Amino acid sequence: MSELSATHFLLLSAALFIIGMVGVLTRRNVLVIFMCIELMLNAVNVSLIGFAWELHQLTGQVFALFVIAIAAAEAVVGLGIVMALTRRADTVDIDELRQLRE
Amino acid sequence: MSLQVLIFSLLACVSILGALGVVIARNPVHSAIGLVLSFLNVAAIYLIARAEFLAVVQVIVYAGAVIVLVVFVTMLVHPDDLPEFHGRRPLRVATGLVLGVALLLEVAAAILTRSLYGAPGPWTDQTIAAVGGNTRALGQTLYSDYMLAIQLTALLLLAATIGAIVLARPEAVSERVAAARRTLTISLAHPRGLDQPELPPALPLPPDGQVKPAGGGRPIVLARSASEFTEQPAWGEWRTP
Repeated sequence: MSELSATHFLLLSAALFIIGMVGVLTRRNVLVIFMCIELMLNAVNVSLIGFAWELHQLTGQVFALFVIAIAAAEAVVGLGIVMALTRRADTVDIDELRQLRE
Repeated sequence: MSLQVLIFSLLACVSILGALGVVIARNPVHSAIGLVLSFLNVAAIYLIARAEFLAVVQVIVYAGAVIVLVVFVTMLVHPDDLPEFHGRRPLRVATGLVLGVALLLEVAAAILTRSLYGAPGPWTDQTIAAVGGNTRALGQTLYSDYMLAIQLTALLLLAATIGAIVLARPEAVSERVAAARRTLTISLAHPRGLDQPELPPALPLPPDGQVKPAGGGRPIVLARSASEFTEQPAWGEWRTP
């Protein structure tokens, strides 16, 4: 562990991913849940780039670029859904959004 | 411990602190600030891993565009609708924390006992410098081996743009009235009239079980004409008393 290796990147990636996961599981505000999903996607990028650096490959960087593009698309659509939610149901609390169940 | 590991650890610690701030902060704007902190530190870590182009993309796309979108949407949401942090859900918080710690221990054990290592590829620092830098090497790979994928990504971004426009466009009046009728009872020409300063006292109700509440328990909106109702504030701003 004295030299930088992919293990460091993987540990950071795991920590960021699991913090994001705990946020998705515990928070009720749909905006914060959305930010936690972004955090998890970013954590995946960290491990992809760590592997690309360790293996002297560019494939990991290409994958990370695609993940960023898809995260941007997801951000646009997700925030559009939040806007439609606040307009329709007038709330961002996911515990109050249970129309499908009732 | 080399200087590289020291710098990496520093950046990783700040980025994890930012991520914790996203989860812990009560105010969504504070969460967004924590997210920016985390993204910027991760961009610096990309620089350590010699992924210069991705570091720039990270700053522009994540720390720039996505955060601006999040902050704009936070501004459009009613501030009094923002739920309390973890309010009244201690069981859920405990479950999330236990699951998180268990998963973190499992994944850390898996990472630290990793025994499978891939064969190193051709892109060492020298070959990347010979091609002309990280961006150029990445571009050559993208536009040769991943041609179809990058075109599909362009299509996906177009679809996302159209989807966002459809989701966020203002509702027409007819849609607004139809949406209102699903949750409200609109009473036109109320027999008691709205011109009186006060409504007369309600008649005594018959015994239980003989009368169905008007509108089935839904809020009733009194309006003298249909246009009076449609001139109400936008449907998203309708506050039931």
